[in-house]
Amino acid sequence: MNAGDRRGLWLALAFISPWIVGFGVFTLYPVVTSLYYSFCDYDVLSRPIWVGALNYRDMVSDHVFWQSLGNTLVFTVISLPLGLGMALALALLLNQPVRGRGVFRAIYYLPSLVPAVASATLWLWILNGRHGLLNLALMKIGIAHPPQWLVDPQWTKPALALMATWGCGNTVVILLASLQGVPRALLEAAMIDGASPWRRLWHVTLPAISPVIYFNLIIGIIGSLQTFVSAFVMLNGGGPDRSALFYAVYLYQNAFEYRQMGYACAMAWVLFLLTLALTWLAARTSRGFVHYQAD
Amino acid sequence: MLSSPLRFLRLRIWLLALAVAAVPRVSGASAASGRVVVDYWEKWTGFEAAAMQSVIDDFNRAQDRIEVRMLSVSPIDVKLLLAASSGHPPDLAGLWSFSLPDFAEKGALTPLDEALAGEKLGADHYVPVFWELCRHRGFTWGLPTTPGCVALFYNKKLFREAGLDPERPPRTFAELEAMSRRLTRVELPRAGHRVRIGFDELTPAERSEGRFTIVQVGHLPQDAGMFVSAWGLWFGARYYDGDRRILADDAGNLAAYRWMHDIVETYGLDHLRDFASSYGQSQTSQSPFLAGTEAMIVQGPWLKNFMEKYAPDLEWGVAACPAAPGVGGGHPVTLVESDVVVIPRGAAHPREAFEFIRYLQRQDVAEKLATGQRKFTALRDVSAGFVAGHPNPAIGFFVQLARSPAARAVPRLSIWREYDMEMSIAAERVRGLLRSPESALAEVQQRVQWRYDRVMRRWDIVRDERLAEWREHERW
Amino acid sequence: MRTLARISLHVVLLAGAAVFLLPLLWMLSTALKPAEQTTSVPPRWLPLRYFAGEGAGRREVVPGAWVTAPSVWAVPDGATAPVALPEGDVRDGVWTPAGGRRVSVRVEYHAAATPESPWREIADARTGRRELVSADSITSRFSPRWENFAGAIDAMQHFWRYLGNTVLLCVLNVAGTVLSSALAAYGFARLEWRGRDRVFAVLLATMMVPFPVVMVPLYALFRELGWVGTLRPLWVGAFCAGAFNVFLLRQFFRTIPKELSEAARIDGCGEFRIFWQIILPLCRPALIVVALFTFLGTWNDFLGPLIYLTDQRDFTLALALQSMQAKSGLTDWHHLMAASTLVILPTIALFFAAQRHFVEGIAVTGGKS
Repeated sequence: MNAGDRRGLWLALAFISPWIVGFGVFTLYPVVTSLYYSFCDYDVLSRPIWVGALNYRDMVSDHVFWQSLGNTLVFTVISLPLGLGMALALALLLNQPVRGRGVFRAIYYLPSLVPAVASATLWLWILNGRHGLLNLALMKIGIAHPPQWLVDPQWTKPALALMATWGCGNTVVILLASLQGVPRALLEAAMIDGASPWRRLWHVTLPAISPVIYFNLIIGIIGSLQTFVSAFVMLNGGGPDRSALFYAVYLYQNAFEYRQMGYACAMAWVLFLLTLALTWLAARTSRGFVHYQAD
Repeated sequence: MLSSPLRFLRLRIWLLALAVAAVPRVSGASAASGRVVVDYWEKWTGFEAAAMQSVIDDFNRAQDRIEVRMLSVSPIDVKLLLAASSGHPPDLAGLWSFSLPDFAEKGALTPLDEALAGEKLGADHYVPVFWELCRHRGFTWGLPTTPGCVALFYNKKLFREAGLDPERPPRTFAELEAMSRRLTRVELPRAGHRVRIGFDELTPAERSEGRFTIVQVGHLPQDAGMFVSAWGLWFGARYYDGDRRILADDAGNLAAYRWMHDIVETYGLDHLRDFASSYGQSQTSQSPFLAGTEAMIVQGPWLKNFMEKYAPDLEWGVAACPAAPGVGGGHPVTLVESDVVVIPRGAAHPREAFEFIRYLQRQDVAEKLATGQRKFTALRDVSAGFVAGHPNPAIGFFVQLARSPAARAVPRLSIWREYDMEMSIAAERVRGLLRSPESALAEVQQRVQWRYDRVMRRWDIVRDERLAEWREHERW
Repeated sequence: MRTLARISLHVVLLAGAAVFLLPLLWMLSTALKPAEQTTSVPPRWLPLRYFAGEGAGRREVVPGAWVTAPSVWAVPDGATAPVALPEGDVRDGVWTPAGGRRVSVRVEYHAAATPESPWREIADARTGRRELVSADSITSRFSPRWENFAGAIDAMQHFWRYLGNTVLLCVLNVAGTVLSSALAAYGFARLEWRGRDRVFAVLLATMMVPFPVVMVPLYALFRELGWVGTLRPLWVGAFCAGAFNVFLLRQFFRTIPKELSEAARIDGCGEFRIFWQIILPLCRPALIVVALFTFLGTWNDFLGPLIYLTDQRDFTLALALQSMQAKSGLTDWHHLMAASTLVILPTIALFFAAQRHFVEGIAVTGGKS
């Protein structure tokens, strides 16, 4: 490196110094330390005691761990397609010549703006078995015994998924923006070829926005695996029969309520690896349906 | 002249320092008056906090060296442990006695034995069962502030309406079940009108058809005043063999859970769920007992306060909750528990904190606090005017009940919280007819034993350190 | 587009909008009702105030149970308050409940109630005295209970402190994030240096690390520093340039032509001046987006305050709301909804004030990856 290069490097490091500090202190150090803790028995008051792979072995035989993982995956499988599908449908509708598009977009976006804690508190009230808005509406349309959403183990996850779908507004905005970026030339060519609106949608529009859909799917999976606030606020101990005990909540419980911080770190690493695996999987399968436009 | 990036770096560091300095730190330093400030974290809010605050004000006025400042913290056990671990705990904290084994074994508390030895305070000052609640592994970890025990409250008006003598609550378990059955009423369509009848008046056809709605229940086992897992006590459960073996599925617990299961089978899961669907927890205005739709409930003396607030017209009576045959040896069975005050390890002013604890043990002070919180005291002596002047007309009954030889507490285990949680989940499963009592409790047994073994493994490693720490307390 | 299709499109969108808005409207409706009306049967949208009687006898009442069969209003022996009893069960001052023992009662009056013209139990709002009156004689008028907001603030105890804490954290986080992210992004976007792209790849990789992985060691670290129980863990990190914002701003910085910087360098400008006086002002929209989302993120943050704050007076609004909900035992819905409304209001206000930036910002973050 010559003197000019060295000076350039020094300058650049000065600029990115905040990130370097952050990386060292808030990312690298914790990631390495949490790996170490995951092999220890660490209650927060005294020193970590090395126990080898005990935490991981215990995890395998801990059926609450598997239950929390299962709950989270089931929740993801329900809420993600629902949310993404709803957002896509709304975006497609809003992409038509609509009067007051800005107003509609604002209304659909508003719920995703609501602070998660307030939203959870509100939905606690909406999902109330006897006096909640949802069941009152269901009874009005003739369903005499609507589900006891937060009391019946079978309905807690759908209830949380419903609440998550209510907040799909920011995905609507993203998809709408990308829909409006679809090149008109392609659509016009399809129209000239005599393609019906449905075929245009399927063969031109959707492929054109597929990178955005894919990106939101990934973000959605990663976020959904870490769902914490709604489950914690609404169904604090995991809900009836632990049906809504999500992975992140069980992790928090292990760390701060049972004071098994080593076990919690082991759970965190499993989550990390799972996230990486799912992302890689999504990346591989995306080759089948994601079409990047030539820039 | 520094080059621009370095100059900017300096600017950033300066900004950061300014920001750090600008954010005030909540400190427990000395008050302006020169008094030592004792920080006291309590779980109470509302009138319970007000009662303690009044006692604190008396203390602060009565001397000029110490000022106690109470803070309402929730959830107290989680926050206290985190504070103790951070090295900046409060000087005093209010816990529940069932938390003491856990906190003590984690080294979060200061043992009080040496300080107590210097005073007249010891076992004979207290009702034995409450003194025992404060001890663990041979050391004393706190002193009681306001104890509690539970009994069966019943609604006299509903008794009267069902044709039962309102002055004759159930005395045996069989009577409890029979009366509960009689007090359960349903509403259903009959010959075109909606009528309200007793549950037993349903014809077998109507019962199996299931078109009725439960509008009133006699007794539904909720949380036995504090823990749903405590129902085992009335069935003779032991929970723990005293050594290292958890007994979640012993005969007593099985009997209790079978009882809960039978109730759900009798009345029907959907009907009970429908009935319970809009009720919150038992101490609120939506509690079925307070709403007048449940005739009997097991609760502590504090229920009186909720009745004052939410159901002032309720005509109530109270009696010891009957136990299963053979349990209790002829004495009334009750669950006892107590709020205790502790000095966390690492507290800045333990001496001053202890002075306040000592103040709380004075008979007049303890009785003032108990009266304000509508409870009774843990002290062996009860002054003449205490019962007479107490806002809760049944307090004399509770005072006697706590002295029953069959009064028991939950097991003194450091993992009690988890044990109770697993038992609650098992109770939910049994009441939801998702599992049989046997299989639900077997699962609890396996899981809690596993947890306990883990905790004991760690305890074995740190025990000697811990005991040494506890013995060498020279703070006094 | 054909008219029918257009109309049905608008109808569908309107219906959808109504469904999305309904929860928020329900929240507001509950927030303005008195406690007993939140669980009234049948449910209503509008908060009402009930009155019975005419002229001088008109008084505010709280209605209760319905009575749809001929009944008497009587006080049973030994009871303190009157109850409604079926007329057929009471003869000559003696009540014989079905299947029960007889009780003597003092009859106050009769009520000729039928399912078509029912009567209702009412309680005087001031004195609490209970009566049975014909349902027709009860009138009502719309009356939103704005005092619920004051009640909610009371119930939360230190509302203004919570607000102050939250605003303080937002300001610190916004300042720190914008500043540090812009600096770092500049270093990755506008400067050429060895290893830049490799380091940037590392930065991208850090975005994959889920928070739970770092949660425990960070907590232990802050514990060592003695910062647990203070607000510091919640804003110090903002000054360390989070990966996402650096990534976002880097994209923006790259869109500015290189010639601008070149020209300035030739003129003898130091790199920092180029950053501060040329590039940054050009990226105001992007900076505003970062500021907006940081503000929102901090306003909404729950897990951070949950694990780091112990003293209730240091709580943020989000944590205080959850704490209030946990303690309330789920009864005071009117106060809970009022408190939720207060917590939501600033975010909605912010949205309407900066709508354009929001939409642009979201579109960019989600669209170009």
